[in-house]
Formats: sequence, C-alpha cells, structure tokens
Amino acid sequence: MVKHLHHVKASKRCRFIWRAFGIMKHSVNRPPTPDAAEDQGKEPTLQEIINIKLIESGEKERLMELLRERLIDCGWKDEMKALCRAYIKKKGRNNVTVDDLVHLITPKGRASVPDSIKAELLQRIRTFLMSAAP
Amino acid sequence: MSSKISGHISPQPCPHLLDFRSHNGSKPFRALQDCIRIKPPGGRAAIRREPSEVPRCGTCEESSRPRLYACISCAAVFCHAPLLHFHASDHALSFPGHEIAVDVDRAELFCCACRDQVYDRDFDAAVVLAQTINATATTSTSGSAALQRNVAGSQPENLRKRHRVDYRPWEPDSGEHISIGNQSIPLHDSTNASLVSLTQVPWGLRGLNNLGNTCFMNSILQALLHTPPFRNYFLSDRHNRYYCQQKNSAINGTKNSRLCLACDMDAIFSAVFSGDRIPYSPAKFLYSWWQHAANLASYEQQDAHEFFISMLDGIHEKVKDKRKSRSPGSGDCCIAHRVFSGILRSDVMCMACGFTSTTYDPCVDISLDLEPNQGGSGKSSSAKSHNSCNVEVDCMGPNQNCGISTLKGCLERFTRAEKLGSDQKFFCQKCQVRQESLKQMSIRKLPLVSCFHVKRFEHSSIRKMSRKVDRYLQFPFSLDMTPYLSSSILRSRFGNRIFPFDGDEQDASNDLSTEFELFAVVTHTGKLDAGHYVTYLRLSNQWYKCDDAWITQVNESIVRAAQGYMMFYVQKVLYYKESENQAAS
Repeated sequence: MVKHLHHVKASKRCRFIWRAFGIMKHSVNRPPTPDAAEDQGKEPTLQEIINIKLIESGEKERLMELLRERLIDCGWKDEMKALCRAYIKKKGRNNVTVDDLVHLITPKGRASVPDSIKAELLQRIRTFLMSAAP
Repeated sequence: MSSKISGHISPQPCPHLLDFRSHNGSKPFRALQDCIRIKPPGGRAAIRREPSEVPRCGTCEESSRPRLYACISCAAVFCHAPLLHFHASDHALSFPGHEIAVDVDRAELFCCACRDQVYDRDFDAAVVLAQTINATATTSTSGSAALQRNVAGSQPENLRKRHRVDYRPWEPDSGEHISIGNQSIPLHDSTNASLVSLTQVPWGLRGLNNLGNTCFMNSILQALLHTPPFRNYFLSDRHNRYYCQQKNSAINGTKNSRLCLACDMDAIFSAVFSGDRIPYSPAKFLYSWWQHAANLASYEQQDAHEFFISMLDGIHEKVKDKRKSRSPGSGDCCIAHRVFSGILRSDVMCMACGFTSTTYDPCVDISLDLEPNQGGSGKSSSAKSHNSCNVEVDCMGPNQNCGISTLKGCLERFTRAEKLGSDQKFFCQKCQVRQESLKQMSIRKLPLVSCFHVKRFEHSSIRKMSRKVDRYLQFPFSLDMTPYLSSSILRSRFGNRIFPFDGDEQDASNDLSTEFELFAVVTHTGKLDAGHYVTYLRLSNQWYKCDDAWITQVNESIVRAAQGYMMFYVQKVLYYKESENQAAS
C-alpha cells in the first residue's frame, strides 16, 4: 500500500470554481490558508489513504451510485423521506433546517441499512483494495 | 416565507443570499455552469474537479466528510458535519460576504451563516442547463431559444395556448322567460317544500334494471350520470336527441335512424332526472351499444372498464365535430374526450449517453397495476379491519411489512423510473444503436375527470388462464395529483431546483387546480367469471349504493372498505358540495 501520496493535489480550494471566479476580481479574496501550506508533509492515516485511492480511481463514485440504487430498491430512502416529512409536518416547514433533518435521521438511518447491502459494499471495497495493492 | 409557482413551493432567499446577490448579481451563478459535471450520463450534478483533485476541508483537512462546501466568494473548501464540525460556518463568520457556498458533490447552495440550504433561480437555471445540454443531442448552447428547446423538448402544436373568449353572462328577457315557463315542468313541487325530509333522495338517483348480466353497463352508467361535466352537458340539452335524429335522417334520407350513443345517453339522462323513481331499463342504449361493439354483443358478463372505453369511443364516433381541430388530447372533438381526455408523457432515457426521447399520448383513463404480492407477512388485510382507518399509509417498499396497497402507491409506481429489460432495448438516436434504457411516465395534462382503473383481472396467454386479484386497495376521498405531473417528475429528476420547467407553462387546463374529489367508485365482487358490479355515488356528501335497480344510502365506511375497481375523481373546482336542503330555489 502506498504510504506517501505526494502526487495527490491536496486541494483546499475548488480549482474550477477558483478559475471561474477569476473574472470577478473584486470578489476574489485571498483564501484563508496560503497556497504554500497546501501540500503538507503530514503523514496521512490509513483511512485517508483508502479514501483518496477510492476517489482517484473513480471507484468511490461507482460505489456511491451502487449504494444509492440499493438503498432506493429496498425502500430505505422512502423510509427516511417519510421520517423527514413527518418531522417537517410537526415542526412547520419554515422551522426546519437541513442540519435538523440530518440529526434526526442519522441514527435511525445508519441502523436500518440492511446487512446485505453492507456486505455487498464491503466486498466491493475489499476487492478494490486487493487489486490496488502493488 | 415562500411563494408558489404553479403549485410548487419556491423558498424565499435568506438575507445573506439577498446580500450576495445585491453585490454580485447573477454572474457568479451563471459562471458556475462551467463548473458543473454530470455523472453518470443523465444523472446527478456535481462540481467538476480534476481527476486527481481530492477536495478537503481547509480547517481540518479531512476529505471524507459527508458534506464539503466550496465558498462561492473565494472557492475555499470547508466541511460541515452537524454537531461536530462547523468549519464552513466558521469561515462565514471570519469573512463577511463569504456566507454562500455550494455543495461540491450535489451542486446545491448552502448558506453557512444560516446553516441551511438556500435556493436561487439563476443557480438552478445554470445547473438544469448543464444537465439538459448533457441529455439532448443538440450542440447549440447559446441563447434562450436553445434553452427553451432543450428544456421543453419539442412543443407540439396542439399544446400552445388556445384562443380564449371573454365570458358574457346571459339573462333571459321577458319573452324568453315566458317561453321557458311554457316549455318546462318544475323539478320540485314547491308546495311540498315544507315536507322535505332528511331522507329525501337527491335528484338523478334512479335504479337501472339488469337486462341479463348487464350490471357492468349499469355500474358505468350510474357513474357517468353523475360525472359533473358530463351530466351538465346533457342536462343543458347540449345534445338534443330529437334534433340529432332529425339531422341524421335529413343527411341519410332514410328511415333508418342512425344509431347515436349520445342520443341514447340523452334519453337516459331525461329518464333518470325526471323525478320518477321506478327503476329504468336502458334497453335502447344496450341495443345501440351492441351495434357499436358487435364483438361484445351478448348476454355474457362483460368487463366494466372495457365497456367504459367502448362507450366513450362510441360517443366520439357519432358526435365528433369534423370541423374542429383533431389535436389529440385537447378534448375539442366530443364531450367524452372533453371530460376524460388527458395527456400522458413518456420519457425514455438512454443509460449509456443520457439522451432522452419524449412522447406525448392522449388517454381517457389510467390503468394501474396492483403491486405484486408482498410475501407472507400475513398482512394481506381483509377490508373489514380498515373501516375506521382514515390514515394514509404509504407502502414503503418490498421489504416493509405494512401490507396495505394504496391508490397513491399505485400512482407513485406508475410514475417511477423503470429500467427496461435487456430484451427491450431502445434505439438511441445519439448512440445510433440499441441501448438499455430508463422509462418514466408522468401526466402532462390532467383531464377534468380522472378515471383510475385497477388491473384486477389478469389474463395470462402463456398459462392459458385468467385470475382476479382481490387485494384491497385503499383510496382517498380527496386526491392531489401534483406529484404525478410532468412538471413535478421533471423537477425531481433535476434534484432540488426551482427552475421553471415546460410543464409549468400556461396551458388552458393548467389554470385548473390539481386537486380532485372522488365522486364515484365502481366495485367488483365475486370471481372473474361470476361476479357483480356495484357503483357507489357521492352526492351532497352522502354515499349511495347503486346495485342495479336498488339504490340505498350507505355509510362512508362501507365505501372505504369496498374493493375498488374503477375510481372516478373530478377536479375540485367542478365538484359542488351541495347543501343539505334539496328544495328548489
């Protein structure tokens, strides 16, 4: 497993957006962290390495799409939607923020993901990691 | 705090967004269009990034947070994990004017100060434009005309705004008053007004004799007799059977009076609304219908839905005005289509490139599948247990155990995007080859009266058998069709956007609301080959059971528990909730 990921552009600024707004000189401010400090020498954790590998290869996106499809098929998405709807009905449409909803459904959501889906995704990640190892 | 755009709530911007716009206008949002990428083809919008670019939070440097926001003012990326990390909000606090950010994975706006999603028309326009350019074959990207074309698809001729005339009220003059008085008989005997009891049966309720397994016909006739626009048409003498016969024999010059189902319908209306309560025999109508649908002419039990379609077709045949435009779905041709005709939209999207092909088809009803068996949870509930159940329970997917099928659930499934099987590959114009596709139905134009037909009779030619599905289906008394409209379906395809879609364009029928009221239910009991049709009618908020010649008042719980086969809903604005007192004014 590659330990040093110097080739990865640790981007704390979205490059495309930066470029797009280059035309608006008056509103383009200095970013809070100077560019020089972007590529750090800090050692990334294993979790970070895996995450970056997944993103780089595009596998993360594929996994996300697969997960979305599975969660819709098994009715999980509808269940979460119903929870949100009930909450909004109770509190009133204008008194609810995205954070409230996330806070509401996160515990139940995590708990109710079917085991078969967890197993399938774990298997996919395992397969990917084995193929990515040098 | 929110306004409505044709039934859809449009949230008002927060003060920070307003502030941002007053300083920057819509330029930043338009520029964002170049930053949007669509993945997979025809799928979600996200912010573009270079292949090796891994966005991470500027404060904690984490890249694996569920939500990462890029500030629109300085393009710095921050995370926002409720209750744990608020680095996006910290950025907004430190740098005034930097409150608005965009979710890098979902292309949705966020106000870091309010800590909530915000919506902007120009931003959503940019996102939708990026998505539709991706989904259509045209390469032109400039100009609003191209945008209209891309977003609206091809706008058929017949759906453009029709010429309207001003309403002119009419009052009879003295001569006309006398004429009306001489030619009419009072509906109510006003001397008996004081004797009007609460049990008085409302107008237009009259039993229909069974002429030999004709309950299929009687049940549909009862529903039509009380379909508000249909009833009004005939009771206003808009199709005068004497005049029509005269005209026909003048044209044909023969003694053989041309069969006209509308004339026979007119006769039934006159008989049923005459005040006479003795059950009526619609023999002439039956005979006329046999002439029209020769293959169904027998004393065997027929399918009520088949009869309904056949009858509407028969009326259309005889009544259609050849001078009027033949644009399908507009309902200009005859009363049957004026009342029942709507337009369905079908989108087929190629899963390889995202190109979407759209077609519009007129329809007089919507046939819905009952969902396949839920598997033995034992909850295939009998109708009786739901007598007092007024709560709408949406069935939540095949793994859930609620077990109750609802009309709304069926409609949701009808408008769901469905993957066409690999044996049904669709020819994609862009790829020039057959590809796997995604099909989605939606309602482009609502009719005045929506008829929902539940597919309870399954005919399998493979197994050479037919069977009836008895499963109970829960149906509401009031129904809002907004979620099934093309505008809503398109809207949800693009995510949370407030950009107006072609479905929002003003069409004559879009001025009417999307709210419907149930007024008739045709039910079927018994087996496939030996069953019985009964219609329940809702008049002045009372329910009446029409079982051939027998009409009885029933409690609404009986209706809720009944096995619905065809449900008739009328636009709420056309549904008169009459007062209790039936005396003539």
